[in-house]
Order: sequence, then C-alpha cells, then structure tokens
Amino acid sequence: MMQDTAVQSSGTSTITRRLDLSAGPWATTNWIVLGIALLAMLALPWLVIQLSIGRFILHLLILFFVWSIVAQSWNLVMGVAGIFSFAQLALFGIGGATTGALALHLQWSPWVSLWLAPITATIAALIIGLPTLRLRGPYVVLLTLAFHELFRNFHTQGPTWIAGGGYGLRGVPKFGLEDMLGNDVGRIAYYYMAFVLFAIATYVIWRIFHSPIGVSFYALRDSETYAISRGVDPFRFKMLLFGLSAFFTGLAGGFYIHYNGNQSPAILSFSIMINLLAGIVLGGWGTFFGPILGTGIMTVLPELMREVENYRNLSIGVILALLAIFAARGLGPMIAAGVRTLSRAGRPAEPPPKGKEGEYAAKGRR
Amino acid sequence: MEKLFQAVYSGILYGSVYGLMAIGLTLIWGALRMLNLAHGSLYLVGGYVAWTALNVLGLPMLPAFALGIIGAAIVGLLIQVLLINRILGRPEFFNAAMIATVGASIAIESAVLILFGARVKQMPPVISGQFKIGAVLISYQALVIIAAAAISFALLWLFLGKTRQGLAIQAVSQQMDAARLMGIPTVASFMIVMTISGALAGLAGVLLSSVFYLAPTAGFNPMIKALVVTIFGGLGSVKGTIWAAYAIGLMEAFLQVYFGAGAALPGLFLFMIIVLIIRPSGLFGLGEAQRL
Repeated sequence: MMQDTAVQSSGTSTITRRLDLSAGPWATTNWIVLGIALLAMLALPWLVIQLSIGRFILHLLILFFVWSIVAQSWNLVMGVAGIFSFAQLALFGIGGATTGALALHLQWSPWVSLWLAPITATIAALIIGLPTLRLRGPYVVLLTLAFHELFRNFHTQGPTWIAGGGYGLRGVPKFGLEDMLGNDVGRIAYYYMAFVLFAIATYVIWRIFHSPIGVSFYALRDSETYAISRGVDPFRFKMLLFGLSAFFTGLAGGFYIHYNGNQSPAILSFSIMINLLAGIVLGGWGTFFGPILGTGIMTVLPELMREVENYRNLSIGVILALLAIFAARGLGPMIAAGVRTLSRAGRPAEPPPKGKEGEYAAKGRR
Repeated sequence: MEKLFQAVYSGILYGSVYGLMAIGLTLIWGALRMLNLAHGSLYLVGGYVAWTALNVLGLPMLPAFALGIIGAAIVGLLIQVLLINRILGRPEFFNAAMIATVGASIAIESAVLILFGARVKQMPPVISGQFKIGAVLISYQALVIIAAAAISFALLWLFLGKTRQGLAIQAVSQQMDAARLMGIPTVASFMIVMTISGALAGLAGVLLSSVFYLAPTAGFNPMIKALVVTIFGGLGSVKGTIWAAYAIGLMEAFLQVYFGAGAALPGLFLFMIIVLIIRPSGLFGLGEAQRL
C-alpha cells in the first residue's frame, strides 16, 4: 500500500497494474495476410478433392488439425507452464469416451454430446491437477503417467460401456455429414469442422501466450521467487492452464471419435504419445508455432515412410536424442532465426529506434 | 493361510525384481537429478543379448547371462557418454535429459524390433523345476531371482559404503558442487552410476525373461513399476528404494491374491496418489539433506 501511494504521488509516472493488452503482438499483426491465409485454407479442400487421392489428403489434414490441437494444448502445459504432464492423451481419451458413450448407449445426438467432452476432460484435469500440480518435476511425470495407465486400464478392462470387451467404443454414431452431403462434400464438411475447431483453439492459445497467464509463466521461469513475491501464485496459474489445455484436448477427442466412429484403447498407446511428444520437441517446445509445425511434420512423415515403417520409429528416436543435444529448442526457433538473418542480410542495417530508448541503445553500442 | 503364504512368496519375488530395476533409477536421480526414461530399454538389452548368446551363439547359460548383463551395462554407459555427458550443466538439463532418454529408448526398442521381430521369446530358467509347500508352487528360478537380488543389494551396499568410488558417488549425490571442489571427478562418477544401473537392469532382464516373455515392448512395465517404487522410496534414497521395492511387491501380491489380478495396478496407483498427497517426498523419503 505504502509503495502504491508513493508512486502515485510522484505524479510523473503512473504504474499500469494490468497488462497492457493493446501492446500484444495482435497490434502488429497483418490482418490482410491472415485473411488471405484463412481464405486459402477455406478454398483448399475444393481444390484438393479434385485429385484422385484428394479424400485421403483431406483425411490427413483433418488428422493434422485434431492432433495439432492436442499438441498445442500439451505444449501449453509442458513448454509454457513447465508441468511435465503425460496425462494429455488420457484427457483426449476421456473427452472421446464421454461423448462416445453418450451417443452410443444413450442415443444422444453427437452434435449435443460433443459439448460434454471438453467439460468432463476439464473436470478430470482439475481432479488430477489438485494433488499433482503442487509437486515438482519427476513426481509430476510419475503421477500423470500413473493416471494415464489407470485410464488405459479402465478403457481396456473396465465395464462394457467403455471397454467393450477390450475393443473400446465401437460403432459410435458419426456426425452423419457424409450421409447428408455425399462422400466428397461430406469430407469437406468434416474438414471445415476440424478447421474451425483448430482455428478457435489456436487463436485462444495464441492469446493465452500473451495474456497475464502466459506472462506470469515467463516471470515464474525467469525468477520464481520474484514472481511469487509479486503475487503470482504458481499453483493457481498452473491449475488454470491445465484446465484450459484439457478443455481443448477433450474437444479434439470428442470430435475425433465422431469422425472415426470408434475409439479403441490403442489411442492411449505409448507410440501415439511419443509421436505427439516428438512433434512438440521437433517443432520447438514452449514456442507458439513449434507444436503446429512439429505436428505437421509428424503427420506427413509417417505417410512418406510407410514403406520402411520399422525404421521410422528408429529414426524418430535418434532424431529426438540428437535434438536434445544440438537443438534443445527445436526446429521452429532455428528456422525463425535463419529467416531473420537471411532477411537482414538483404537489407541495410536497421536504424536505431527513435526516442529515449534509441539513445540508450546507441550509447550502449558505443 | 495358504493364500497368505502365496501372497508373501509372490510379494518377495516381485519386490526383488522391482528392487533390481528401481535402484538404477534412484542412483541416477541421486547423482544426476535426471529421470532416466531409457531404463526399460536397458532391461530389454539384457534379455535380448543373453537370448542371442544362448540360442544363436550357443554359449552355455552362465556366460550368456553374464554377456547380457555386460551388454546392458555397456549400453547404459553409451547413453551417458554419447548423450548425457554432452548436455550436463545446461540450464534446460532436466528437459533435455528427458527428451534424450526417451529418444534413446524409442531407438533401442525399434532396433530390437527390427533385429528380432515382434514375436515373443522366452529364456530357459537358470535351474528348472519346482517344489510344493502346502498348495503353493515354488520354482527354483524364483529362489534364484530372490537370492540374486539380495546379493546385488548387499554388494551395492558394500560398494557405496566401503570403496572410494562408492563414497565419491555418495558425495556427488549429496552436494555436487562441493564434491567437485574436493577434487572428485563428477563425470566419472556419473559414468560409474550409469554402468551400475545398466548392469542391474540387465540382470533383471536376464532373470525375468524366463518368468515373463521377452518382447520389444517388455521393458515398459518393469520401468513403470520401478518408477512407482522410486516414488515410494523417495527419489535418490537407496535404502528407502530397497524397502519400498519389497513393500510394493508385497502390496501388489496381496491385492492380486485377495482382490484378483485386475485390482493390482489400479490399487497401486491409487495408493501412490494418496501417498504423494500426504507425503510429497515419498513414503520413506529422507528429504533433500540425507540421500543414499
């Protein structure tokens, strides 16, 4: 209190206590470019469907949207908040199982039950988070892995309404778009659905990166003691982020089960988890674009390496180990740095920024 | 009464196996503050090398088993030298080490899949045969495993407490900077720790492959159980880990005998979650000050 009044009475400078949202990266975003990109994404399926393997490519794109929602949410938890959670796939499965079981056994419309998927996933995340998020690194890894195993166990050997005798949920009603619109246009409609979910999730996550929550985590990372002394409560922020990431993961799981028409316990297998993790690490852990880039690579790569499937995992393992040594921050930041140096090479040196800051910078340089 | 005896017997057997796996993890955590997620693949290496020596090279049993243990120890050392030594001391060490060991474990598992195929393999027991006490079947192989584990624990105890290298490892895990200032070669200590933990995982792989089957994914379950054990024992504490291994083994066996096989894993995990809520440093956790 004392400090506050002292600062205000000095008059010349006022401290803005809230984060200045108008200074976020959206202030400098080129909305025209973004709009063109959006239109291109909307027009893309109509061009792709002309190809003979167009439906398959659309399928891959839909998978990319779904998994990149999960990867982005996981990155929010792992990369931004530094919570070493391995429960993300279980949350995906919980979302899918919720809406799948409701639609399959209680004959709910998938369009209605879908919205319960993110809610149960969030509730589950808060329940896991309560004991877990107060603990540190290795304990979080173990507890979340244990939770994953528990859910996998339940999905495989639990009651029939979820385990289905080891096959999981089979014959779950789909959204029915292909029945209404035909195979080709139906697939395009699924593409639009997945794209809209992806776009919403990505936009929200982008805003979170630059919101008070995201900034708090940078503060916690840079100096935990100072951040806490300034009123950042790590547990509360971690819970918030964990819940948010579970929301989108559950939604993706819900969409996925009604797109596929089934959810086998194999969705919780170690290899899928590894693929996701590899995507995040490959693209750049803790960065905004990293997980999207990484998921893209991990969606396309298996298709290109279909002939040599056994060697695919071997190379993923080797690549992960090498990345840890040589580029722990992932490919995304590397590419970004490369582009920056390239574009700088063509241009003359930037003039120093104007105003007081520029003066200081110039002095510093001398 | 027979049920009780069955549970105690299986519990001690499980405990021996979990102890062999978990001690490596806890030693590594103590010395390096690193979660070695490639530990399960060292188990695999032990099993497959011994299997190859036995069935392809036609070696007798004991040399084949020794080769399996040596193979796992070498792979453990290689992981340390090729990967971990190069990221030591970086600010993002915990992340990088986790990614590196996950990568190593995927690479080893898929290499095993490429070399040996997905079909399961089984090793012959060291001593075949069994005898009965009441209605409980006791196999000689189980007694071998129990004895081997107990001997390994005793040897490790002597090594850590009586030899220069062992004391160096203890010093490093208590206070790395101070140990380095006293002239202890920390990197050499890390390499010894990785070799020992590889050898112990290899021993577990060699002995267990005659009880369970050997498959490219066989390392995952023992590793998860070992992780649970290290949590109970308090990460970094060897004594706690050994006690925890037997405690968990007994608990799993009791759950299995009295509530059916399906109850063991969920029961264990639920217990673990409760323990961590009540005692965040593990059931036998000694806190940061007293390790090993």
